[in-house]
Amino acid sequence: MRGREAVLIAAMLLAALILPQGVRAADEEIQKKVDSLSKEVEALKQQVARSKEGKKSISDWLTIGGDYRFRVDSLSGKVPSYLSFADYMAWAMGGMVGSPAITPGATVKNETLYTNRLGLNLTAKVMKDVTFHSRLLMYKEFGSQANDASRGDFFADRIGVFDGTLGHVPSDGKVAVDQVYMTINNILGQPIWFSIGRRPSTGGIPTHFRQNNEKPGVGGVDGLLVDYAYDGLTLGYAPDIEALPGAYAKFCYGRGFQRGFHFDSSGDVKNMDMFGFIAVPYDTDPLTIYLQANHAENIIDFPVIQESTLGSLRPSTNLGDIDQFGVVVMSTLKKVGPGTLNVFASGALDKTHPNDNHPTFNGIPLSNIGLMYTGVKKSTTGNAIYLGARYDLPSKTKIGLEYNHGSKNWISFIPAADDMWTSKLGTRGNVYEVYLIQELPGLPIASYRAKSFLRIGYQYYDFDYTGSNNWVGAPVAISDVAFNPQMLTPMKSAKDLYATLEVKF
Amino acid sequence: MKRFLVASMLFVVAVAAAGFLSPGAVSAEDIKLVGVITKIDIAGPDATTATATLKDNKTGELVTVVVDDDLTLDKFKDHRIVVDDEIRLKYEVKDGKNVSKYFRKTAGC
Repeated sequence: MRGREAVLIAAMLLAALILPQGVRAADEEIQKKVDSLSKEVEALKQQVARSKEGKKSISDWLTIGGDYRFRVDSLSGKVPSYLSFADYMAWAMGGMVGSPAITPGATVKNETLYTNRLGLNLTAKVMKDVTFHSRLLMYKEFGSQANDASRGDFFADRIGVFDGTLGHVPSDGKVAVDQVYMTINNILGQPIWFSIGRRPSTGGIPTHFRQNNEKPGVGGVDGLLVDYAYDGLTLGYAPDIEALPGAYAKFCYGRGFQRGFHFDSSGDVKNMDMFGFIAVPYDTDPLTIYLQANHAENIIDFPVIQESTLGSLRPSTNLGDIDQFGVVVMSTLKKVGPGTLNVFASGALDKTHPNDNHPTFNGIPLSNIGLMYTGVKKSTTGNAIYLGARYDLPSKTKIGLEYNHGSKNWISFIPAADDMWTSKLGTRGNVYEVYLIQELPGLPIASYRAKSFLRIGYQYYDFDYTGSNNWVGAPVAISDVAFNPQMLTPMKSAKDLYATLEVKF
Repeated sequence: MKRFLVASMLFVVAVAAAGFLSPGAVSAEDIKLVGVITKIDIAGPDATTATATLKDNKTGELVTVVVDDDLTLDKFKDHRIVVDDEIRLKYEVKDGKNVSKYFRKTAGC
């Protein structure tokens, strides 16, 4: 018995001596493994960090967005009795016997014009302080690879598609480059930037309200002066002035027509360039003040249009220069009743500086027509106002009302505006518009600004003079078009009832 | 044309000078940096203050600032300023906290 007890005690003692050593050995083994794993994790972390630094994931540097819009327009308008240029020429060539034929007044309609518009935006952070942006646009009519259904012979900005309107009025359905530019920021460590390429010179303030777009940033323009897809550059500066929050200024340059090879003969068509200066002394939600001055040099008579209702067109001469001055005041007032009230007022002036040149059309020199004048060279001054308000309800319903008026000699550079008849802000007369936007409920997924909405609106144009959005020839009172030959079909009034279904992502 | 260009250039110079020489220029206590936002914390839609963390482009250091001006807060709330935006920041240190005095996206289009 004693012997077995002794053996048991000895075994226990032995176990007591051996076990801690075993446990310690296991601990050491585990510790080694932990150390090894720690090293591996650290190595992996460094590898990931190196990988992240050297090759970023696509979302770190590339932003993709876009929009799609279905639109239906129901258009009607009244054409007064008028003397057409063709009838006048026939009468003149026939020896001016009797009176020239008069085209009787009529109502013109396009009850259902369906269109698709697709936009794709890409913005890349290329390197520190250098970014690249592009926007592609496709805009077409239903059932057509041409723009026959939306094209008319009523207004110069809608007789066909040209460089400044490509992607902004219905065209052939091909995807076009609407914007492409690179920007260098923080030049010399200062809030100075330089940007070059095809500019974001369309959809300027305050036209973004009715489009349900975000307010254009420092790249924007005064929408009453410029809505034209330009190639050019910008040099901007945004100083930190305590009394002027959000202030910035920029110089812009754009080329509207490039002549190419030439022989320096007196009849050569020169390049058409535009210089602009924008100063925004105050830019906050409650108050934005926007000032812009432009000088357009060597205005061409016709842009290059491959297919227009007047045939194939290209510049035949330069008609002179135009200066413009514009001011926009905007305010967004929160908690006005249950919603937010946006109001704006915009005004502008233009002054022409014609030369002695006259356009040539179909081989016929139009010796009595120049830059906004007929016969004798004469500088003209025009003006325009643009007023509007939009009330945004918490239900994401937005109700807007707009009015604009252009004087007899009002001329602007806004052919890319999103209006079917003609760019309403270039109208010589009055335009009234009312619209309602209803955004669909739901949280955005694609981006913070993603949204889907329905928009319905009505425009009424009341023309006082001919030649809205046309700088060739003098404006004629609508009541006098039976006595003055008209190259384009004059209109007394026009209506557009439109609806859109849109997504922005 | 020449007069227009000269006038434009004079205006640019005037605005530039106003920016460099204005009373709003950085005082001795103000600290300026350009950096990318890595984090924004706002306490709900009615918050009257928020904190934003920026990674300084020059040093790589993280800087957290308190933002309490309504204009910037509104931009946080409706996502006009979001994480990954590059910001030109001016702040001062008050009671141990960095308080934003100028918070604006770097200009450029």
